Amino acid sequence: MVVDLSKCMRCHACIAACRVEHFLPLGMTWPRLIAWEENEAELTTFPVRCNHCQDAPCVKVCPTGATQQREDGIVWVDQDRCVGCRYCIIACPYQNRTYLSRDRDTGYFPGYEMTEFEKVGRKLYPHTVGTTEKCNFCMERIDEGISRGLKPGKDRAATPACVNTCPSRALHFGDLDDPDSEVRQLIRDRRGFQLHLEHDTDPSIYYIDKGYRGA
Amino acid sequence: MALRQWMVTHDWMVKPTAQTEWIERRGVLVWIAEVFTSLGAGLYLVSLFFDNWWGMLAAWVIIMFLKVPLHLIYFGKPFRFWRTIPPFTNAWKTSWFTRGITFTILFGSVAFVQLVITFVALHVFPATAWGAWDMAFRVLGGLLALLVGIYSGFIMSYCKSVPFWNTAMLPLVFLFAGVADGLALIMAIGLFDPRVSISAAESAGRFVLAVNALMMAAYLWNATYTSRTAKYSALLLLKGALALPFWLGVVILGIVTPLVISSLSLFAGEATTGLLITAIVLHTAGAVALKYVLLKAGVHTPLLPTLSYSHRL
Repeated sequence: MVVDLSKCMRCHACIAACRVEHFLPLGMTWPRLIAWEENEAELTTFPVRCNHCQDAPCVKVCPTGATQQREDGIVWVDQDRCVGCRYCIIACPYQNRTYLSRDRDTGYFPGYEMTEFEKVGRKLYPHTVGTTEKCNFCMERIDEGISRGLKPGKDRAATPACVNTCPSRALHFGDLDDPDSEVRQLIRDRRGFQLHLEHDTDPSIYYIDKGYRGA
Repeated sequence: MALRQWMVTHDWMVKPTAQTEWIERRGVLVWIAEVFTSLGAGLYLVSLFFDNWWGMLAAWVIIMFLKVPLHLIYFGKPFRFWRTIPPFTNAWKTSWFTRGITFTILFGSVAFVQLVITFVALHVFPATAWGAWDMAFRVLGGLLALLVGIYSGFIMSYCKSVPFWNTAMLPLVFLFAGVADGLALIMAIGLFDPRVSISAAESAGRFVLAVNALMMAAYLWNATYTSRTAKYSALLLLKGALALPFWLGVVILGIVTPLVISSLSLFAGEATTGLLITAIVLHTAGAVALKYVLLKAGVHTPLLPTLSYSHRL
């Protein structure tokens, strides 16, 4: 994924789309957003989410093998195997994992019955209290799309919900291994960078800095 | 140019943020479990050295009935604990957590057999072939106790995300702290069991406490130039929010006072029972404080570089 910082307009649509797509519990947020004010005229925003590192420390430290990496590089958590030790949360250099505790899963209207939306969500995405969660690049959408011959990043039905929703097209998704893909070209042409290279994790999320806007 | 954070929802992205999972709320269980790890593994090793069956038994009880249950209670899904044990997982190839659990289970089994054999060899069939088995299981039990005592250090030092922990010195700090804890506990056992040589334990204690002091100093010194975040953690201990538990708990109660008391015996004969009890209690309080400050000072590097930093990339 490539995040164009110069285009992000802090609308939080990606966060809302993720919540709807995965029926996230009230206290759980997979992608997050932060905005900086460098001076009175200039604001900069960093949308962050799991970096799906190619050399992911969370995969290595997981004692049960619940955190796994697929062949396409997506790192995901098998919540049926997670024991809730939270070692992965501490080992993640990007702090993008969250433990789903009871107080994060109070229902959208605490003290009231679950809404129909929540009830349906529980069937489709049974978020398990006592386990760890994080962004999975909407791998269900990707798998479903690929099975229909669609291409992730090109076809909306095979592309993560946050990327589809972004109104300013700040998020780009595609195959980093394909030198001709849009994401690869963006990284090459606009000098994309990863966060915290010193950890040697090779994140799959690149940022295009506003400093190189129009370059 | 001063940067101002526009939104304050995620401080962890822009400020050095302490890990909370293993020290706050239910994380307190991890802290206490780690204290018992140190006490139990250290006591077993020291009891082997002093050939004290009661010490070994106490160590086994501490590990199996205090440390292990606390870890299990901490899990979000404790009834899935079996998934962390080989052969139900092959994560031992990369995960120190799985390795540690394996060491603990092996220690529990081997030390139990060793305790039974030693009891039989000592009390039922003295001067028989049981002695050879006893020795074999002591060596194996000692090795496993060493691994149990040191694996937590490896679990933490593996985390590049927490620069203060990410050093090869941490497992050694844990190991030497554990041996010092074991020496304190063996002196406590010696108050009831005359076969324990208090003076020998004091001599060893002086040496190990001095090594502990040097290890801590080197560990903190090392942290001050490893990275900005590690230095931040070290300064938290030295003069920040953790200065009180560090200086009072770890240094004064845990190291200096026991060292002074055990050194008194060099000049004034064996320490009195009251002084010994004081040294044991204070050192154990120091052990509790040590694990607290090390876990509490585990600080993550801020996620985002400042704008000016990112411009340079």
